[in-house]
Amino acid sequence: MPTIFIVLGYGFWVSPDFKEISAGVAIFLFGMLSLEEGFRAFSGGMLEKILKRSTDKLYKSIGFGILTTTIMQSSSLVSVLTISFLGAGLIGLAQGIGIIFGANIGTTTGAWLVAGLGLKVKISAYAMPMLVFGVILIFQKAKSLRGIGYVLAGLGFLFLGIHYMKEGFEAFKATIDLSAFAVEGLKGLFIFTGIGIFATVVMQSSHATLVLIITALAAGQITYENALALAIGANVGTTITAILGSLSSNIDGKRLAGAHLIFNVVTGLIAIIFIGQFMSSVEYISAAVGIAEDDYTLKLAVFHTIFNFVGVIVMIPFIGKLVEFLENRFGYEKGSEKDMHDKVNFLNDSVLELPATALAAIKRETEHLYDNAFEIMAHGLNLKRSNILSDKELDSVIADPYSQEPIDMDKFYQYKIKGIYGEIIDFSTKAQSRMSPEYIEELYKIKLSNRDIVEAIKGTKHLQKNLVKYTNSSNSYIKDEYDGIKKGLADLLRTIDTIRNTQRYDKVMTLITKIKLHAEEYDIIANGKLDELIRQNKITNEMATSLMNDSTYAYEISQKLIEMVQILFIKGDDVTMSLNDALMIDDDELEELLKEKKG
Amino acid sequence: MGIKKFINDVKESLGLNSFKKSGKKKSIKVLLANLEERKEEIEKQLAKKSTKALKEELSIIKMQIKKGEKLLTKLEDENGSEKSSKTLGKKSKN
Repeated sequence: MPTIFIVLGYGFWVSPDFKEISAGVAIFLFGMLSLEEGFRAFSGGMLEKILKRSTDKLYKSIGFGILTTTIMQSSSLVSVLTISFLGAGLIGLAQGIGIIFGANIGTTTGAWLVAGLGLKVKISAYAMPMLVFGVILIFQKAKSLRGIGYVLAGLGFLFLGIHYMKEGFEAFKATIDLSAFAVEGLKGLFIFTGIGIFATVVMQSSHATLVLIITALAAGQITYENALALAIGANVGTTITAILGSLSSNIDGKRLAGAHLIFNVVTGLIAIIFIGQFMSSVEYISAAVGIAEDDYTLKLAVFHTIFNFVGVIVMIPFIGKLVEFLENRFGYEKGSEKDMHDKVNFLNDSVLELPATALAAIKRETEHLYDNAFEIMAHGLNLKRSNILSDKELDSVIADPYSQEPIDMDKFYQYKIKGIYGEIIDFSTKAQSRMSPEYIEELYKIKLSNRDIVEAIKGTKHLQKNLVKYTNSSNSYIKDEYDGIKKGLADLLRTIDTIRNTQRYDKVMTLITKIKLHAEEYDIIANGKLDELIRQNKITNEMATSLMNDSTYAYEISQKLIEMVQILFIKGDDVTMSLNDALMIDDDELEELLKEKKG
Repeated sequence: MGIKKFINDVKESLGLNSFKKSGKKKSIKVLLANLEERKEEIEKQLAKKSTKALKEELSIIKMQIKKGEKLLTKLEDENGSEKSSKTLGKKSKN
């Protein structure tokens, strides 16, 4: 950083034209920031909804990348948003890669806009009114108006930046001729590719580099061949932005940044190796579409488009392999004692500004928390998870213990629940401040389901001691009762897994009613079972007290998990979900079913 | 005219409220068809071998069918009364 400041300071002192060019770049970058800010205002919900529908197929995700980058004129913003969506689990890695590929094509429209419009029309004439209207709108209260304001101001600054760069290069030409430093041949190709990479890394924007290249080319300050090499370098350099952005993100973000780097480096290499062929293609296409022989700026735009298109076409067949490679290279760390503390997988501060994505991330993380809770509860009940999830009869499931010694549930809780639960609550609090009431209501329910999961684990911990004691008891009556509790909870966990993996709403309704019905059967006082066991002296008073308490724990575990299921795992179309409350069996009907069962 | 009144007028003239209801009715009908299908399946299985779990599922499904049918009738009644009040309104204007 100090070196850059010194170089810039010296440059400003030596040449006022250099100052003008640099100011142009700075204004241009500021315009991009403003544009990003504007589009962020519109990304709360709407963008996520469109995304869900438009990225289920590879061609759709590429199309989404092209379209959004063309509209927003910032592949960096699209990359950052894609990392957020990926981190929140809204899309898969393959779709994320598709969007990035599309964004690379979309970014080429910038070159066309500048080369085709920016240099031919007096662009600064549009900049001023845009800035004025934009700034007025930025001061409005309505979020959408503010968003439009930022977009307008952003475009105004972009245009103004281009104008200053253009003016700067025109004036610069009169004093220093940069084209005298042109290097020909392969050496020049590599040197200028390197300069392109460096410039983009410094400016953090390939778009800005490209505009700089085009304006310099238009002013005759660089040769056409060197401009091509700079454009290749800009494409490679832009991946640095994604890499820097991914450093603070989760594994998905790192994988996507990896995909971006591999794609752009491969595309860059192809462009360097086949530069001759690319240049011939540019000449051919330019002649076909009527671009003048000496219009090198438009030819550069053609080149930029072709080599990005070729890159995408070459890379498409390898997306599967790329996903596989990245998943192996950046895997979730597991196994070692040191790393037994499980970490959050989906919560990332970059999604905080996108309410729908943040909500989806919290929901996914809660499901992750439930996965861990399932493991702890199964092992706390001394059951094997694989048995619970199998088709085995419940009698054989409880006959096959997880271990000979009871597990330390506190230790498991510390390792696998506490940290994640804390982070979910912390993240939810931060996300909530940016959410509308509708989202807050949804978030509140998810927070409740988190609490339900934790309460269910605590209930299992209370049960564990007596469960171990009485399932090994010589008193067959008490053993049967505790085996019944164990079997009931194993059935509950199994049913929850079925509900989670079922898409059919009618089946989900039936299964939820079933688990509600079974939970009621833990009431051993109401069903007279406890009285019967005591009256006939089949169990001691101590056993009776334990059984009464533990049945209550089992009932509470069931209730908590049922509540959680109804928030997290019910799926259906919007209309069905709006009818959910009216269609679910209520307490009176449940009572009726219980009577029918007993009768 | 207030914005809310304007939106309501547009919704009414385009019949968007009844469209939402017909969507609900369609969903309930699909749900009922699925439940009926499962009910028949269970009855067939019960004819071969009677188990506690199947009997329990059957009584749950019967209860859900009853509940769904009740909701469907309610929606149809609401739709019917809305239509008749609209016709009456038009007649009184004439």
